[in-house]
Amino acid sequence: MKRYISKNQKRSDALSKVTGEATYTHDIVVPGMLFAKVLRSPHAHARIRKLDVSKAAALPGVKAVATWENTPRKLFNSTGMMAFLYPGAKPAMDEYIFDQMVRHVGDEVAAVAATSEEIAAEAIRLIEVEYEPLPALLDPLDALEEDAILIHGDIQDNNIASGTHTIRQGDFEKGWAECDVTYEARVKLPIQKQAQLETHAAVAEYRNGELTVWSPTQSVHGTKYILAHIFDMSAGNIRVMNPPYVGGAFGVRVGFGGKAEGIVSCLSMLSGYPVKLVLTREEDFTVSDTRHSGYVDIKLGAKADGRFHAFGMNAYLNTGAYGTHGIEVAACLGNMATSTYRVPNIFFEGASIYTNIVPAGAFRGFGNPQAVFAVETAVDALAKKLDIDPVELRLKNRIRVNDEWPLSYPCSSTALDECIKQAAAKIGWSEKRGRAGQGRFRRGVGLGAGTHFCGYDELAHVSLELETDGSLSVFTGNSEIGTGHITSLQQITAESFGCEIEQVNIKYGDTRGTPYDVGCHSTRSVFAIGNAISMAAGELKEQVLQYAAGAMGCSAEALSIESGRVRGGPEEMDLGQLARDGHIHKTHFSAEGKSKEAVTVTPWEAHAAEVEVDTLTGMVKVLKVVAAHDVGVAINPQLVEGQIEGGVVIGIGYATREEMSINEKGEVYNSSYHTYMLPTFADTPEIEPVIVESYEPRGPYGAKGVGECGLVPTAAAIAAAVEDATGVRFLEIPLTPQRVLDGLQAACVTCQAEKEGGTIDVE
Amino acid sequence: MQKIWSGTINGKKIEKSIEQSMTLLHFLRDELSLLGTKVGCESGDCGACAVIIDKKLFNSCITPAFAVAGCEITTIEGLSENGQLHPIQKALLDTGSFQCGYCMPGMCMALKCAMDAAEHNLTEEEIREAISGNLCRCGSYSLVVEAISLLQEVKKS
Repeated sequence: MKRYISKNQKRSDALSKVTGEATYTHDIVVPGMLFAKVLRSPHAHARIRKLDVSKAAALPGVKAVATWENTPRKLFNSTGMMAFLYPGAKPAMDEYIFDQMVRHVGDEVAAVAATSEEIAAEAIRLIEVEYEPLPALLDPLDALEEDAILIHGDIQDNNIASGTHTIRQGDFEKGWAECDVTYEARVKLPIQKQAQLETHAAVAEYRNGELTVWSPTQSVHGTKYILAHIFDMSAGNIRVMNPPYVGGAFGVRVGFGGKAEGIVSCLSMLSGYPVKLVLTREEDFTVSDTRHSGYVDIKLGAKADGRFHAFGMNAYLNTGAYGTHGIEVAACLGNMATSTYRVPNIFFEGASIYTNIVPAGAFRGFGNPQAVFAVETAVDALAKKLDIDPVELRLKNRIRVNDEWPLSYPCSSTALDECIKQAAAKIGWSEKRGRAGQGRFRRGVGLGAGTHFCGYDELAHVSLELETDGSLSVFTGNSEIGTGHITSLQQITAESFGCEIEQVNIKYGDTRGTPYDVGCHSTRSVFAIGNAISMAAGELKEQVLQYAAGAMGCSAEALSIESGRVRGGPEEMDLGQLARDGHIHKTHFSAEGKSKEAVTVTPWEAHAAEVEVDTLTGMVKVLKVVAAHDVGVAINPQLVEGQIEGGVVIGIGYATREEMSINEKGEVYNSSYHTYMLPTFADTPEIEPVIVESYEPRGPYGAKGVGECGLVPTAAAIAAAVEDATGVRFLEIPLTPQRVLDGLQAACVTCQAEKEGGTIDVE
Repeated sequence: MQKIWSGTINGKKIEKSIEQSMTLLHFLRDELSLLGTKVGCESGDCGACAVIIDKKLFNSCITPAFAVAGCEITTIEGLSENGQLHPIQKALLDTGSFQCGYCMPGMCMALKCAMDAAEHNLTEEEIREAISGNLCRCGSYSLVVEAISLLQEVKKS
């Protein structure tokens, strides 16, 4: 019987979050600190001919002005740690903190540190810049043309960020010719913004050759390394910390966030004071990474009996001005697109392509929502052609454990079949599918399925120490971005060691005193850190029991740790007493946990949606989403459900309304919460999270991860439901009223409804 | 130009010389170190900075401090009394109705304002309405409803 596994343990951060005491980067105050503001490019692409900061520097209260002329000229990549894990993939080293070239509207030109934000803002206005505007590219397909201008012509002779990712299995061309039914289409995906509630911010203090940075980064160690690289400092002299809370992340904070960490570090070094930068909401929208938009071409073919036989895909992602995650997102898109279903013949090629718009990078799902939207569109189309129920077709073709697939890791567990069945049953598939009717308001149901990956074949490393009061300290370089996984890790620690959960303190979000960790992303933390913790806790337990056995003169086999005490010997021993006693006798109880072999495991998910489409206005109302997820064993079911539900809300936004619009000058039209419409509570339908437990033999207590999965197939399910309601399959999202209305009119659905007497109510 | 602001914040009389153009949000955070009130958008769109002023809910980011001088202002720091969590805080804590927590202070104030104003238990629709001006990107909306519904049930019995 497990004491702490599969239990709804309350979050360890709950009290500080409901009282407002939780500290975020925005709340950091360092004595004597200055405030920074940034001058940003009004042009999508330009060369700076002249930059005169003399008036700004002379303004009373201004302590430093940073430009490309007085800051490091060292190219970097603001990704987690500037190292990619796909074999052969190299990060695009394409950014400076400030450069003489500006490559998107909002690109950094200069920054000022002053004694107040108002003075810094005034100084920014006093900087004189002469730009030489250059032609700009906004669309990735234009950027691939042979005569296209080069956005990073100084470092490479094409517009592809860090190369192309290719996947091959079997013989696609031969397979395609052998198919009995085929479908091909191009889908178009929008720019979605993380829009986390706390804008990017950072505080830096450079003193005596040491640099301390507070930031909401998801990867403190990665950020430390990027800073060491840029400033040519010894990494040990840099400390990066979360405060420890982070006001939402969703991928946008893997590594630098809007370069804030680099900017404040420059300004602190130049001024000799601590410096704080808080981006405005508009800056956050226009300069920090987004989800990749772009085009995905898909070809899917099957045999007459419904077996998929050939799969081809080309992905053209728009990475904007910098390739922060470059080939990685394109590679992930390909990997996820080719690992949900069995297909013997596969070809995939994808790339992230430079343009002169806001950069794209990591966003929860990391290429997977784009992949699944394309794949599921094709699966539904083949179901129609084959006259097979879409649920049946998915169940028939889904990947099984240890199936051959093109990925570098095996499929070691899957309950996708159960996810699909439960999602379909709970949405009322058999009663509701294909019954839209002919009125103005039409309802439909649809389903989408997918996978993801937990961990990244990287090393997870933690250290554990038994404190002299018997409590256990766990040191990890991971961050807490709101997911609650620190509580799940406490549960794993207490279960593995045998102590009370109150005796476990997890120290995270600080490079000082924690071993290297790639950070909180990739749906990895519970899985990878959990594995390292259970390994270290097991070893620590062994040390304690051996020592206790020696102290009591009994066999260690007879002993166990229960409720924080060593039991089973001639006397009960308190862990604190043991730890203190150990120190006197030259014994310290500590252990390191390192994941012995690099592993990646696969979570699975299927979402089913019910929608109502107003055929006269084009409004899509999502009535319900059932989200069934195979998470392995749920360490904390309440937290898992929270992750699923939160993901679905973002997925509904992706499907129905969220889209950053770029105008012909490369400016972001909707750079505020007022114009970029996140789903509010009023827009959120009933969401039913369903945990489908499986057992993952390589996870801690059978667990996998869930973080990113909640939004992966949502848009596909909603588009399928809209098709069921209207007969029209939309190949572009979000399904805004205008786009839907245009589509329905083109297919003559709206004119039909008008003929049948539907009218638009005007009140 | 500086001017003396006076009024009541979390039950305490406050008199302080501040810039006339200051927003209530920056007055609370930068002058009084009441950091629980969060900065989300500074344009009145997200509700992270919501506070209660004379029993009404305001987004402090678009409220000039001097427009509410002399008023009674409650922030998240004034919600618990005598070291005891307010029942709303307790309910949200028990249900774990948040993830990153950044929207929580504003959400708490919005819920308190609506619950104090209503003479009856809020319906689910009214709870949704109460927090419809509070954005939560982590998507914990339904758990907030669950927390408040449970709280009201406990109160009833």
